[in-house]
Amino acid sequence: MKKLQYLFMSLSALLLATPAFAQDAAAAPANQWVPLAAALGMALAAGLCGLGQGKATASATEALARNPGARPGIFLFLILGLALIESLALFTFVIIILKVK
Amino acid sequence: MPTQLIITQLLNHHFAAPVTAMLRSLHIQPKFPNAPISDAFSMELLCFVVLLVYFVAVRISLSIEKPSGVQHLAEITHEFINEQSESIIGHGHERFSSYLTVIGLFILLANLMGLVPGLESPTADVVVPLGLALTTFIYYHYHGIRANGFGYIKQFLGPVWWLYWLLLPIEIISHFARVLSLTVRLYANMFAGDLVTLAFFSLVPVGIPLIFLGLHFGVAIIQAYVFLLLSMIYLSLAVSHEH
Repeated sequence: MKKLQYLFMSLSALLLATPAFAQDAAAAPANQWVPLAAALGMALAAGLCGLGQGKATASATEALARNPGARPGIFLFLILGLALIESLALFTFVIIILKVK
Repeated sequence: MPTQLIITQLLNHHFAAPVTAMLRSLHIQPKFPNAPISDAFSMELLCFVVLLVYFVAVRISLSIEKPSGVQHLAEITHEFINEQSESIIGHGHERFSSYLTVIGLFILLANLMGLVPGLESPTADVVVPLGLALTTFIYYHYHGIRANGFGYIKQFLGPVWWLYWLLLPIEIISHFARVLSLTVRLYANMFAGDLVTLAFFSLVPVGIPLIFLGLHFGVAIIQAYVFLLLSMIYLSLAVSHEH
């Protein structure tokens, strides 16, 4: 029963996708999906980067609340960590800028 | 002819012929022979001149009894750099403070230039951060070799002898990746800052882009600090002695 369900679901997905295939084969508007792919890639990168930075900042503020004396050390590592996390999203950005004409 | 800033146009008006001749003698064919000087280069030159004037002004007005305004600024910078590098590099950090001060101030000024109308950030062009990153790369390797001699190669080899063949290529790649990440971080931050302001300017031409200019101001300062911090960390790793 479950397998049948999967089969129908994938069939329906294919059915929905056929106009796209047909369009690609027939008229082929070049790079139709490029803006969508760029937006999706950047959104994924930005979202996950935000998640990572949020985690880092949360632990830093927590540590600061427990031990306010350790501010300089925590600040240094926080800035460093945020910069390193952020650079991953920026790599995505640069690749999109380079590849999308 | 590309559209250029006023300063670049002025420079090109006066120096286009000798610069093109010099580039041709080095077998480089400039894209526009009438305008070989790019915006990034003229902005870098402006940055260089401003810093030179600043340092000369500090040197001339140096006084113990009556410290001037620029001297206070220089002392704050010096204190900040020394404090940071002492906590990261530790013993023998005074040797690097000149390089670190100059690279920090240069990047800070270059980043902040983008906020002034009529100027733009030279660091928003990928060539300039690449140059800075390569300079830092050569500088910390030079000091690593100076401090450790031939033993510097031990840092590339890892802890045990039977893993040397595996770790050497990995370490070499990771050192070149540092250049890449330093370049891309600075370039992409500055470029994205300009782009975001522009995008919101095209949506709402009044008021709202100002918020993003403020954001760009913060990012400019933080990126200069991060570049400085990473240079210090690479230096400290290079000059540290194995025990």
